[in-house]
Amino acid sequence: MKVPYYPGCTLKTKAANFETSALAVAERLGIELVELPRWNCCGTVYSLADDDLIHHVAAVRNLIRVQEMNAQGLVDDEYRLVTLCSMCFNTLKQANVRMSENPEDLEKINDLMYLEDDYEGRVEVKHLLELVDELGFDKVEEQVKNPLEGLRIAPYYGCMLLRPTEVGIDDPEDPQIQTRMLEALGAEKIENPYRKVCCGSYQTVQDKKVVSNLAYDILTHARNAGADAISLSCPLCAFNLDSRQREIKEDHPSFREIPVFYFTQLMAMAFGLSEDYCGFDLNYIDPEPLLSAKGIIGGSNGE
Amino acid sequence: MASSEESATKKLDLQKVMDRIAEASKQVVSGVEAGTVENWVTIYIMGRAYQVPADLTILTAMEYAGYKFVRGVGCRQGFCGACATLYRKEGEYKLQAGMACQTRVEDGMYLVQIPFTPAEKPSYDIAELDYDVNTLFEYYPELARCVSCNTCTKACPQDLEVMDYVQAGIKGDFGDLAEESFDCIQCGLCAIRCPSEIVQYNVAQLGRRLYGRYDSPEPEHLTNRLEEIDEGKFEQALDEITSLGREELEKMYAEREREQE
Amino acid sequence: MAELEYIEGYPAYMHELLQRVHASREKRKTYVPEAMSMEEQQKVLKLHPDYAPGGKRNISVGPNKGDVAPEPVADLLEAYPLVGSEEIDISSADFDVDIMVIGGGLAGTAAAIWANIQGVPADRILLVNKLRHGDANSIMAEGGTQAADREIDSLDRHYLDSMGGGHFTNKPDVLRGLVEDAPFVMHWLHELGAMIDKNEDGTFVEKWGGGTSVRRLHSCKDYTGLEEFRVIRDEFRSRKIGCIEHYPAIELLTDGEGTVTGAVLYNLETGEYKIVQAKATILATGGFGRLHIRGFPTTNHYGATADGLVLAYRAGAKLRDTDTVQYHPTGAAYPIQIVGYLLTEKLRSSGAQPVNVDGDSFVFPLEPRDVEASAIIRECYVRDKGIETPTGLRGVWLDTPMIEVKNGEGYIKKAFPGMDRMFSRYDIDMTNNPVLVFPTLHYQNGGVETDPQGRTTLDGLWVAGEVSGGVHGKNRLMGNSTLDTMVYGRRSGMSAAEYVKGGAEQGKLTLEHQTSYVKMLKEADVPPERRSPILLPEYRGKEALARMIDVF
Ligand SMILES: Cc1cc2nc3c(=O)[nH]c(=O)nc-3n(C[C@H](O)[C@H](O)[C@H](O)COP(=O)(O)OP(=O)(O)OC[C@H]3O[C@@H](n4cnc5c(N)ncnc54)[C@H](O)[C@@H]3O)c2cc1C
Ligand code: FES
Repeated sequence: MKVPYYPGCTLKTKAANFETSALAVAERLGIELVELPRWNCCGTVYSLADDDLIHHVAAVRNLIRVQEMNAQGLVDDEYRLVTLCSMCFNTLKQANVRMSENPEDLEKINDLMYLEDDYEGRVEVKHLLELVDELGFDKVEEQVKNPLEGLRIAPYYGCMLLRPTEVGIDDPEDPQIQTRMLEALGAEKIENPYRKVCCGSYQTVQDKKVVSNLAYDILTHARNAGADAISLSCPLCAFNLDSRQREIKEDHPSFREIPVFYFTQLMAMAFGLSEDYCGFDLNYIDPEPLLSAKGIIGGSNGE
Repeated sequence: MASSEESATKKLDLQKVMDRIAEASKQVVSGVEAGTVENWVTIYIMGRAYQVPADLTILTAMEYAGYKFVRGVGCRQGFCGACATLYRKEGEYKLQAGMACQTRVEDGMYLVQIPFTPAEKPSYDIAELDYDVNTLFEYYPELARCVSCNTCTKACPQDLEVMDYVQAGIKGDFGDLAEESFDCIQCGLCAIRCPSEIVQYNVAQLGRRLYGRYDSPEPEHLTNRLEEIDEGKFEQALDEITSLGREELEKMYAEREREQE
Repeated sequence: MAELEYIEGYPAYMHELLQRVHASREKRKTYVPEAMSMEEQQKVLKLHPDYAPGGKRNISVGPNKGDVAPEPVADLLEAYPLVGSEEIDISSADFDVDIMVIGGGLAGTAAAIWANIQGVPADRILLVNKLRHGDANSIMAEGGTQAADREIDSLDRHYLDSMGGGHFTNKPDVLRGLVEDAPFVMHWLHELGAMIDKNEDGTFVEKWGGGTSVRRLHSCKDYTGLEEFRVIRDEFRSRKIGCIEHYPAIELLTDGEGTVTGAVLYNLETGEYKIVQAKATILATGGFGRLHIRGFPTTNHYGATADGLVLAYRAGAKLRDTDTVQYHPTGAAYPIQIVGYLLTEKLRSSGAQPVNVDGDSFVFPLEPRDVEASAIIRECYVRDKGIETPTGLRGVWLDTPMIEVKNGEGYIKKAFPGMDRMFSRYDIDMTNNPVLVFPTLHYQNGGVETDPQGRTTLDGLWVAGEVSGGVHGKNRLMGNSTLDTMVYGRRSGMSAAEYVKGGAEQGKLTLEHQTSYVKMLKEADVPPERRSPILLPEYRGKEALARMIDVF
């Protein structure tokens, strides 16, 4: 199955490990993620100002590229656009919803982008988790060669996968999609209510403290609930929960650091893929000691 | 040369040939004379109407109209970016951009030159920089403000995909940034039109320099040659050849071998 | 002119004629005329605008009195200054610097950078520009830069090729400096991050140039000068070296005893003058194509008006090889908007052939420039095998589609994006149809005489680049000129820096050198209205000019 794929800027730089692990595991599941030949930044944040249509141009332009891919025969009648980053997902999907609900806005945007084909509104924006869900988690289970036994993982969703409900991929009050994934991988899931709490998002640029305080709460709750590590799907959440542990440690010297994974890194481990795909060097808190301690790496299962 | 032709050349008044060439080029070297023109168009230079010969570029038409350029023109051939011009045609909403030296006048063109773009150019030492996307953001943090509106692309008189190269920069794809921006003549129109106030051409300049320096190492044959020169390998040969008289040089030159194609 | 019917950018009759070029292409794939013998060359060269009778005279005043120069050049040398000491106040300086560089092409910009590298502070250097920094011949160089850096090549080989190209008139020690520093210049450019074309294996792509015996030409697509210059200017700006624009130098200042001490600048927009005092002055004002010698169109930029020659000469510097001018064999001859513009030699080294009206190729495509140019003139005006354009210009075809036959489809877009873009603006697709060419005025071979450090016969004055004379003798080889600018820009910058650091004192500011010069002019009966430098050529419409009045 060839599906158009939108990486987003961060996956080409700071979160390159999210992309390499995702492409590798998707391939195992028979999904070929075909990168849009031309794409631009998604716009980063869905603009909430009413008359700020210009901010949606970025997102819609990417949707047009999906049409182009079909026209060029790079994919075959496939209008699902897959993203990995929750932020890109949210921005693209909200813009898409707005275009389908507001033909006037769509017309204005099409008119502004007169160098491009018109956007026809056919694209469906999907997060990789959704696509895997559609495929069935039993397919994931089939690929598991190196179950993550004994690894206690707290899934974290943040906001972008869940809110607002028109675009959310799961029940915003009780999301379960990552839990099902973790079960399929053989890990132990640790549920805790803080999985839906905002990580502080872009506050991280203005005010580290706001973010490190939020992160401290999220991480200590997970830890107290018994988690060894966190699983998530957003480079910004990852930055706030992972890298900001430096500031947490400064404020709370007794804080016990906790590794943060992209869910695709966990999949890659469980599928028995080479560690190269995981790019742990980009993780701030090195997860390898934990993985060795649990016997997940260092065994003979790696490819 | 056939012998009849040879005598033709001899008899030929060479000076006359030169005069004929000069006569044919007159329009190009000393301005157009109205008497020789059949087709005319009306253009509006900063709002005022002028009748100009239809064959001219914006630049030569403005000169025809009596403007002596002391700004807004440099190479006259589309390389230097000095003659950036914005125009709208009567009855059209589109604001178009072109280089005055490269764009033919059209009837009903309203035009203005933008001979200068205020822009920051930070200082850096290319040898000290990391070949990394963060370097671009460090010097040009406003890159992150790109809303992908593509206005820059619309404004580019070189028809470059400006937004695409800016986006390539944001992704840290230096190869794309460098190749797509390579033909940039730094006229400044993109930066003038950008709602996010990015100075695209300066970003691209930094990106290309990083790419040129770091993407692939200096070729070995050059490094070796520099070493050979340091070791004085060519000293003797150069001492000899620089002391040769004309005749010896001529002989050597006539006998030199050409590298096989 | 009646409305013409156009097909693929050409008037119908020209379009019909060019079918013959398509028809003969197959045959020409394997057949190319042989290079001419020395004898044949001598014959055809009679038709070269530089060798044909007329158009030149002896210089009647100054250090080179008696030497031959093209009429427009002699006119400017035999001309009165724009200002004298009665009209302006030179008693105090508006800018006080160690080194002033006049002219910011490749040569001047490189000179300023290397003076700075050599230890002269950025704020003690001033780069003076007539137009914007970079509105120069340098930015237009298309084809490439020579440097003997391949294993099969050698410095002496580069030397010999250049000597032969210069008809053995090059100044040996200066030419030696050129070939010796060439590989270093490529190294410098690479260190600065210039995108020099490379092969897959990481070696430089190196092409033939007319008159070279090996492939030695380095390029950056067909925007070589643009890329080299952009990078060097970016480096210059990063160093925060002083720079002013639209402020041409209109006269040098001397101490009255043969040492150059500064210059008078002129604000092109306000008309105000400024005085610069400098311990060392580097003149890098480029060439003189805009003098339209012999009435030829030119490849040069708007400001190529020989100002540097005039300034240096009037101050007492010696010139050399003023008698020769380089015409490029292949300037555009159609359409009218681009007549004279350069179609780089690299087109021919990549396979394009000159073809006459019958579709025959009539000359080896890579003869030395003067020979190639003469052969094209012969084809058009002696053999009558040229193609005439609607405005009465003649030219021959340059069969550009052959480039793709030889190098594969898509090659032109990749290797010649600038040229392809230029023609496409006039609806001509050079990948599918030939283009029309005729020789064009290209390069000032001679200039202010220098030594291997860029020093002139005057103290305190250095020159670099096209304004200088000697390195190329009476004819420059392609790719040796951009090289010259960087080698001698660097050498003069470093030499001037050493001079300043060696304790050179600021001399007094005078215009005394004008006095004896003006006396000579009067004796030679030079008409008083003839003044120089001219700074910019005159292209205003005759009708508009005739009705102009001066109010302010
Ligand atoms: C179209 C074209 C293509 C070429 N292609 C090649 C090639 O492929 N390879 C090659 O080796 N060479 C090539 N050349 C030649 C080469 O580019 C030039 O000879 C060389 O770059 C000259 O450099 P320069 O710095 O000496 O002068 P320029 O680059 O001309 O710079 C001189 C500067 O001085 C300024 N100036 C002039 N008068 C004054 C004044 N009075 N006061 C202040 N400033 C002044 C000018 O405005 C200009 O900015 C080409 C030239 C042209 C025109
Ligand atoms: S004058 Fe240089 S680009 Fe037009």
